[in-house]
Amino acid sequence: MAKVRDGDPEKLGLLYERYKRPLLGFFVGMVRDKELGEDLVQNTFMRILKYKHLFRSPQDVEAATRGEGDFRTWMFHIARNVKNDHFRKNKVIHEKVEKWEGKIKDEGNPLLEWEGEDEQRMLAIALEKLPEDKREVLLLSKYQEKKYKEIGEILGCTEGTVKVKVFRALQDLKVIYQQVEKMM
Amino acid sequence: MNKSKIEELIAKYNEGLADPSEILELELLIESGEVELTRLQELAKLDESIDKISTVVPSKTLDRNFYSMLTKEKEKSKRSNFSLSWISFDSWVPKLSVAAVLVVLGFIGGSVLQKNSGGGEVKELAKEVSGLKEMIMISMLEKESATDRLKAVSLSEEIQGPSKKVTEALFKTLNSDPSVNVRLAALDALQNYAKSPTVREGLVRAIAQQDSPLVQVAMAELMAALQEKSSVKALKEILKQKSTPKEVKQRIEESIKVLI
Repeated sequence: MAKVRDGDPEKLGLLYERYKRPLLGFFVGMVRDKELGEDLVQNTFMRILKYKHLFRSPQDVEAATRGEGDFRTWMFHIARNVKNDHFRKNKVIHEKVEKWEGKIKDEGNPLLEWEGEDEQRMLAIALEKLPEDKREVLLLSKYQEKKYKEIGEILGCTEGTVKVKVFRALQDLKVIYQQVEKMM
Repeated sequence: MNKSKIEELIAKYNEGLADPSEILELELLIESGEVELTRLQELAKLDESIDKISTVVPSKTLDRNFYSMLTKEKEKSKRSNFSLSWISFDSWVPKLSVAAVLVVLGFIGGSVLQKNSGGGEVKELAKEVSGLKEMIMISMLEKESATDRLKAVSLSEEIQGPSKKVTEALFKTLNSDPSVNVRLAALDALQNYAKSPTVREGLVRAIAQQDSPLVQVAMAELMAALQEKSSVKALKEILKQKSTPKEVKQRIEESIKVLI
């Protein structure tokens, strides 16, 4: 990323290839729409280019050992802003989506597109039913590979608070999962 | 809390026997780092299962859009390098002189233009800009990307006194766009022109065209807000449909109550 910032935009292609899938996974998990998720991935990379001068290379030794992790944290920070801006702009739409408790078997749902076992399918449904903030922390945990300190930097809280958030989200998910299991 | 008590608490939680106050204690231990989430068996298993959910595969369109953006950026970067090279002065004095000259020229140019331009010309210009915006909006509505189409819809709000062309394009979007979000945005945009009887009629007619529960609910709420009683018949038709979800029916019934 430092090379992109210093005038070599071509290097962004490498970062895009590495992170397009986790980024899309995060967005689709949040907005439940693949096409929209892809638009948000594109917006994220547009902002990365726009704000490339704000990217800071790791200065301290500890950060240096993390290497590209710093880019990933910065990228998810931007992605989260893109997602929040999207929800703000489409507030009415979003509220309606949240209020509308849809059918459990939603065939047009991209989260359910994968071919999995029943357990995975039920888990995806349960995840969908989780409130937005809790779903977000679990998705960040998945795509940030359980690096709670980095997730804390994205969410603006401490590592301990992130762990508690994950704990609470998983607890709620467990309850919803059990409900879904009974209904299937 | 000593280690054995912590172990006891974890065991109790894993057996599903922890009460709310113990769960709170556990939260504090998790926050302080004394208990790792991986020790809580069921939650750890659930967390692992989330990791196993396969990620959606990006489409070719995403790659295409990204690389075309990157190509544009590279060209821009080359152009800016080129254009900046000829102003590479060694000292700040010539730079300052250039800046001063530009400010003076700008000032003179501005005052000359202000004197010359009459009210009619400004109006003419505003009309041209509006026409241009209309054209951009209509062409953007044809784009493949939902974000572009959303931008097009929001652009319509900047057009003063929209023409028939704009409202027709918005109705076309409301009735046939593949993205629910774009359809909802078109509905929001049309709401601004609801004073026009033609737009109102179009909105009532559009109710029957909607198959998305979100749009149906939004339309019912809009009709209630506009007190458009002629929409009741169309709304009742949605209630009759077997495929309409229960929650949607409830929301539509609420809107009908307001209208009757």
